[in-house]
Amino acid sequence: MSGGVVLAEVWWEQLLHGILSWEFLEFVVVFVSIFGFVMTSAVILILAERKVMAWMQDRYGPLHTGPWGLLQTVADVGKLLLKEDIHAGKIDKAIFILAPSVFLAPVIASFAVLPFSPYISLPGAPLATGIVYLIAMSSLDVVGVVMAGWGSNNKYALIGGLRSAAQMISYELPLVLSLVSIVMLTSILSDNGLGTIAIKDIMNFQMAQSWPGKGNPVWDFIFEGFTPWAWFILVQPLLVLIYYTCGLAETNRSPFDLPEAESELVAGYLTEYSGMRWALFYLGEYGNMTIVSAITAMLFLGGWSGPGVAFLTAPGMAIGWQVLGNLLALVYFILKIYLLCGVFIWVRTTLPRLRADQLMQFAWLILIPTTLVNIVLTGALYLVLNALGVSNVVFLVVLGVVNWLMLFGFFWVVSRATTASTRRAVAPAIRARQRLATLAPPSAAPRLPEPERAGVTGAGAGTGR
Amino acid sequence: MATNQGVNRPPLEGVAPGELRSEEMILNMGPQHPSTHGVLRLVLTLEGETVVDCTPVIGYLHRGIEKILENRTVMAGIRYMDNADYLSPMLNETAYVGAVEQLMGIEPPRRAQYIRLITNELQRIASHLVAIGTYLLDLGAFTPILWTFRDREGILSLFEALGGSRFNVNYMRVGGVLHDFPKGWLQQCEAWCNQFEKNLQELETLITGNEIFEARTQGVGYVDPQQAIAYGLTGPMLRASGVNWDLRVNRPYMAYREIKVNPQVRQEGDCYARYRVRMQEMAESLRLVRVAMDQLPGGPISTRTPIALRPPRGETYFAIESSKGELGIYFISDGSEYPWRAKIRGPSFVNLQILPELLRGHKMSDVVAILGSLDIVLGEVDR
Repeated sequence: MSGGVVLAEVWWEQLLHGILSWEFLEFVVVFVSIFGFVMTSAVILILAERKVMAWMQDRYGPLHTGPWGLLQTVADVGKLLLKEDIHAGKIDKAIFILAPSVFLAPVIASFAVLPFSPYISLPGAPLATGIVYLIAMSSLDVVGVVMAGWGSNNKYALIGGLRSAAQMISYELPLVLSLVSIVMLTSILSDNGLGTIAIKDIMNFQMAQSWPGKGNPVWDFIFEGFTPWAWFILVQPLLVLIYYTCGLAETNRSPFDLPEAESELVAGYLTEYSGMRWALFYLGEYGNMTIVSAITAMLFLGGWSGPGVAFLTAPGMAIGWQVLGNLLALVYFILKIYLLCGVFIWVRTTLPRLRADQLMQFAWLILIPTTLVNIVLTGALYLVLNALGVSNVVFLVVLGVVNWLMLFGFFWVVSRATTASTRRAVAPAIRARQRLATLAPPSAAPRLPEPERAGVTGAGAGTGR
Repeated sequence: MATNQGVNRPPLEGVAPGELRSEEMILNMGPQHPSTHGVLRLVLTLEGETVVDCTPVIGYLHRGIEKILENRTVMAGIRYMDNADYLSPMLNETAYVGAVEQLMGIEPPRRAQYIRLITNELQRIASHLVAIGTYLLDLGAFTPILWTFRDREGILSLFEALGGSRFNVNYMRVGGVLHDFPKGWLQQCEAWCNQFEKNLQELETLITGNEIFEARTQGVGYVDPQQAIAYGLTGPMLRASGVNWDLRVNRPYMAYREIKVNPQVRQEGDCYARYRVRMQEMAESLRLVRVAMDQLPGGPISTRTPIALRPPRGETYFAIESSKGELGIYFISDGSEYPWRAKIRGPSFVNLQILPELLRGHKMSDVVAILGSLDIVLGEVDR
């Protein structure tokens, strides 16, 4: 009879308890700050991009809003928020309005599993299937882009949206395949022979257990948890490159920015958008950049590891040191992310854009075979070396050497293949023209003048001067 | 206006006729579009991303320059020539005053001819800088345009010191030029040349060896020599197809009779060759500027010609090698102060005619790659 009341009391007290608890407060603080990080990171990145590009291009960049133009993006965001919401008459309204949210939501969701420091992370960070979750989220972006392209009722937007769909789906494959070898490595390195796809565990595999001067507090402070020689970038440099390249394509950044290729498609799927809806796309794009950089940092560059982090956050240290260690980890992690984002910007200032068919060729004919070969090679090498009875360290060294050699081979192949494949790709155009010439009756074909009229000697009788 | 009837379309690769029904899409590219270099409108018929047909629609920038010229005295008309090809006003003015001089039988003093050569070659560099910068921007590379505009800025400053105006210089006069070089101008120009030599090398390093750039331009937009001659192409378009034809060499005018030009020719005939020809021409123009400054003769800068100029009755055609090709003026005078007719043979207009032929069968991304390599200026196409 009174069970319901008792239950209600418990529920009420539980809720009160839950809300006033330390864990809940911590969750709120972390959630707000990580959400804030996604939002502000885009603003910071846009400003950084404009400033860095300006520096590379011999100009000043934003200069007048705030000191050194630092408030330029803030002013831009203010402008975008206040802008009138315009859309064309014959759009598919529901899809058009929903698309920016569909694009942005997976980006924000991706941040749920990123560990920012040993302590600071959302509750999703211990997820055992972290990498799969991240990849799933990044694949969802394409839905928003296609919706935007379709809903805009604009030919440029449609072409941009479809290009983007093809591009994102194609580059998803080498992106995933390039991470497979990392998972294989973890299974080789782990004691029980089981690999892991949890992000934090992969980061732990990059922290060697021994370092020079172990036992000396100074060396311990620096090297505990910070062992750059164990980072996977040294073992699998080719995969870093491929993953990063696919990241460029996934985030529609130059040289893969075909979906919004300004010179051809005006603004691609963004053509009809304005104001805050447009800004949401930008937010998502720069958030994506942050995600790709963060994954690269975590899987290949040791994540938040840096001098002092593991030492200060070791169990048994005082709370103050723990806080300092976590802040240090945060600084290292964000520094690595922004350095990698800097490479994004650097690439953008340097390279022209690929053509759509070359883009596809690059993914299917070069990247995917390379990653597949790499997977087979990693497994075969391990089997051979394991049969010979060598230790894991020797295996890693051999794998690293082989992979570095493959990296230079890859450069060579890419530089040859891009131009070679183009010559073939052009052939249809020329073939079509030749066929046209044969199809047309000879009388209709334009009479070409004799080549002697070229006037190479300059003695041609000309204009009656 | 833009019909596609009566155009032979190449059948699609790998699809037998009647096997698969698909619709062509007609896409209006321009007149407001980031990479049509002004207000050109291209009516593209697309089969997927493949261009089946293209019809350029021009006339959006028509200002009636030729008609304006008929309503201005000869001297007053020089200023309107600036606006025809607004990226190379010095060359336009030279063509116009050259035609009048030819009709009147005036030979400008040697110093004036050398000054014209220096300004013309500087203008050619400026025009090619814009062409290459915008071309790379069309291909998605953001940096080159800012570097090239930085260098072009130096040329415009030199022109400002010379004629008082950066863009519409209004510097040439029938029988000579407006002013002599101001004090220190030659030193400034020399300093700019030295700086530009380095910057040109830097630009080469950034663009020329780039695999993506080569992949985008090599083999794209191929023009064979016969086709180029049949379409009346001139300038870098023609020389990139392997035809050695440069009016500065083949029909030398003014100071080009004394200073020899090495024409830059390439055999490939594709967009890459056109880019390379422009790059080489910039280096060649730089050399010419230096040679002309070294050999600069003294003397007057202008013959005495009245402001109210009355060219004799008659007609003439005078052509110079502009940055884009043969820029000719067909000048008819009825003996009055006003030209009876001044027809501008704009190289951009002629070079544009080959565009539909080049685009057929290429991908949509190649549209901007080919259009950019033509280096048209809509001010000269529409006049």
